[in-house]
Amino acid sequence: MKIINHKQFRPVDFHNHVSGKNGKLDRENAKSVNEAVAALGIDKACVSCPLNSDSPTPDEFHASNDVVFEAMTFSKRFLGFCFVNPGYARESLAEIERCVVRGGMIGVKLYHQYFICDPALQPVMEYAAELGIPVLMHAGKLTDSGAKFQPRLSNAGHFLKATEMFPQTILVQGHIGGGGDWEWNLRTLEALSRSSKYYLDTSGSVIDAGMIQKTVAILGTERVLFATDMSFEEGVGKVLDAGLSEKQLQKIFSDNYYKILSERRV
Amino acid sequence: MLFDINTATGHWPFRRIPNQTITELKRLLKSKGVTGAAVVNTNGLFYQNCHDANVELAKAIDPHRDYFAGVAVLNPLFPAWERDLENCAGKLGLKALRLVPQYHNYRLDSPGVLAIVKKAAILKLPVFIPHRVVDVRGRHWMDTEQTVNLHEVGALCHAAPEAKVVFTEASVNPEELVDKRGRRHYPNLYFEISRWHSVMGQHVKQMVKMIGYDHILFGSGAPFKEITPALLKLQHAALNSKAMNAIACQNAVRILRLS
Repeated sequence: MKIINHKQFRPVDFHNHVSGKNGKLDRENAKSVNEAVAALGIDKACVSCPLNSDSPTPDEFHASNDVVFEAMTFSKRFLGFCFVNPGYARESLAEIERCVVRGGMIGVKLYHQYFICDPALQPVMEYAAELGIPVLMHAGKLTDSGAKFQPRLSNAGHFLKATEMFPQTILVQGHIGGGGDWEWNLRTLEALSRSSKYYLDTSGSVIDAGMIQKTVAILGTERVLFATDMSFEEGVGKVLDAGLSEKQLQKIFSDNYYKILSERRV
Repeated sequence: MLFDINTATGHWPFRRIPNQTITELKRLLKSKGVTGAAVVNTNGLFYQNCHDANVELAKAIDPHRDYFAGVAVLNPLFPAWERDLENCAGKLGLKALRLVPQYHNYRLDSPGVLAIVKKAAILKLPVFIPHRVVDVRGRHWMDTEQTVNLHEVGALCHAAPEAKVVFTEASVNPEELVDKRGRRHYPNLYFEISRWHSVMGQHVKQMVKMIGYDHILFGSGAPFKEITPALLKLQHAALNSKAMNAIACQNAVRILRLS
């Protein structure tokens, strides 16, 4: 078998997860994730512990972020993302301050409680812009009957609006391969302003041939972030199969992450 | 040696698939180190008279018989399937049969399915059944959302114990495959690895432990899917060389009766 050696790029997985068990880090799961990351030569993995209920309370997202803190202690490979429910604006800002400013997490993770372009997100988005940290959101364009279970799932159209509403915030659309019509997302993104602070991550179990190649063709190498979202071999393999140059692979696997990190002001 | 049990040629109407001709597919597979492959004709999902796709496939792989093993597609609800199947195994030289109930609008317990599976067993053709052809979460509105599950395939395996059935594109829980005493529920059921994991949880290794390495085959899903993910799954499976060689190639050679 012929596989490109990707370890030279010191990959950073921008979208991954740990989970909680009885209010604590599920250490067995964290060990598995850490071993998987290490086995594939991934240098760092951004992890979060989002809640998919309709409206998680501040106590719930606080506890969820405590699990991420445990993970950051568990392995130096893990970089934390702070999950909040923007419906609780004041509490979300306090939580970001606790996790990012004082706790050293590197970004904000949002799930499907609101669309990315919902005005309710304004306080969180403005605070993230002030701190110079990215906001990563669960996203997709589902076309099957399962779509009804995620009625506020953001797609590329929502992200286009968000780039206009929150132009100073670094926005990351989650998993182009997370299941759904990725071609619809990519064609929609052709309307993206060149100046917007928009990124897309490559994660998810979908490994359709040509998906990453088209992503790079439409967005350019600078806006694409390597990620797995627990689909490890899929995550690495589909980027390696995209027919990219070493320079492009270096940017996607690692450099784009460090570029985002360089904007941090805390 | 690396044999890919799960590849396809032909047209997919809902998205442009690169490398869909036989020569393009062969070039792609060889570039990844794949030394042989079982190939189906995707056109057979959509033709009313799907045997035409078998004739097309046999013609397409004729110059590449040393590399490709052709897999027939037939619909057990369509007239003359028995004659077509004999023709596939004989004159056309195809090595397996694929059933696609999702696309031919039947269920695996429909009348006629058992008969075609038993006939395939007599002709020594393994029967491939995909859980799905593509991820239905992003389906085109004209494409099916139906999938085939383990219990449907398992019931067919019980009804035709003499048949060899290969469940492709399937992600299964290893513990569902054995009883409390560790005996396999479906001794005639085989799997390919394209939707399993190695680095997280060692799914491939667990499957080997449950059902034996002789029932597991390397498959990628090319050209629908990228190939390197499947290569990484095989590379990182914590297996000894005997099991690795069997999964990579020898099992496919055995069940397809390749020389």
